[in-house]
Amino acid sequence: MPVVYACAASHAPGITAWRDAASPTQLTHVTEAFARLQHGLRAARPDRLLLLTSEHWANFFLDHIGAFCIGRADYYEGPVEPWLKIEKKRIPGDPALALRLLEHCYAHGFEIDHAHEMRLDHGTMVPLSFLSPGADIPIVPILFNTLAPPRARPERCIALGKVLRSILDAAPERIAVIATGGMSHDPGEINHGYIDSDFDRRFLDDMAGGNLSVLGQYTDSQLMAAGAGTAELLAWLCLAGIMEGRHPQIALYEPVVPWATGIGMLAYDMAAGLTADVAA
Amino acid sequence: MSAYVLNKMLRDINQKPEKRERYFADPAKFAESYELDAEERRAFLAYDIGALYRLGAHGLILRPFTLLKGVAEPDYLRAIRS
Repeated sequence: MPVVYACAASHAPGITAWRDAASPTQLTHVTEAFARLQHGLRAARPDRLLLLTSEHWANFFLDHIGAFCIGRADYYEGPVEPWLKIEKKRIPGDPALALRLLEHCYAHGFEIDHAHEMRLDHGTMVPLSFLSPGADIPIVPILFNTLAPPRARPERCIALGKVLRSILDAAPERIAVIATGGMSHDPGEINHGYIDSDFDRRFLDDMAGGNLSVLGQYTDSQLMAAGAGTAELLAWLCLAGIMEGRHPQIALYEPVVPWATGIGMLAYDMAAGLTADVAA
Repeated sequence: MSAYVLNKMLRDINQKPEKRERYFADPAKFAESYELDAEERRAFLAYDIGALYRLGAHGLILRPFTLLKGVAEPDYLRAIRS
């Protein structure tokens, strides 16, 4: 059946680890936006979560870098960071669904990496702590290499999304898709703390427009110019590919300086029909 | 990002508890297990954060490494920007 719910959200560690460093107003806005996303997700009654996510050298390292890596583990543990203020949990996986997605990708031009073991860091655990607090819905993660250049081009991430769309549509499970990361930030680097709100708002507007040819024109250097962590938006672009023909609603934008990140969220209204160009 | 061995060593300290213990017990002895060049070894043993950054330590490896010793964010940023 078609994807039952989809959303995207930033995963800055400050959201949980330095929560109260943010102003009360911004903290309320972020918390309320996560609550709206969780409400939508819960109402959709998903029985699987496909996570389009990135990590921070917890699994990927320079001894072996791939562009995309799907998890086919029985379970995942996280967070790896003891300071994240999120209780360490074991989250069930779905290796059978992961294998179906993997084989489908191989059959359609994407020989993505696969892993029987993955550790989850804040990149996944921060959004999940809000969206699936019971950690009881089985997950299939796809990690994007956002750290070590060269990275997959935005256009390729959209194309991967389109490939995933066809098998997700045919799946018997009720699958929700969550993309995590971004928006602009430069963690641990010279411009740590810099937030490019103009970039972030334009990117959100382009995601809301849902025009894949517009989104496909983003370049790696454009993303990197907004900070090294901005490449995490590759996962959002993949989500746009999966959700082709639908327009997400922007749920939040807050440039939160104490978290050194432009915090953005969007969600797809699955009750709305497809746009005519794709429905036809 | 180059400096493969330097990043590998710092990431080992960040991610692997047994390596972390060995590092804290004896940094010089710990560093002997990695083929660092002279400047990398000097910067590592001197805890010269700015030099480690300029030698190619990745921000998302170097910052967590400095968090292990509780280096405050302004101090970290001053070091890598110096």
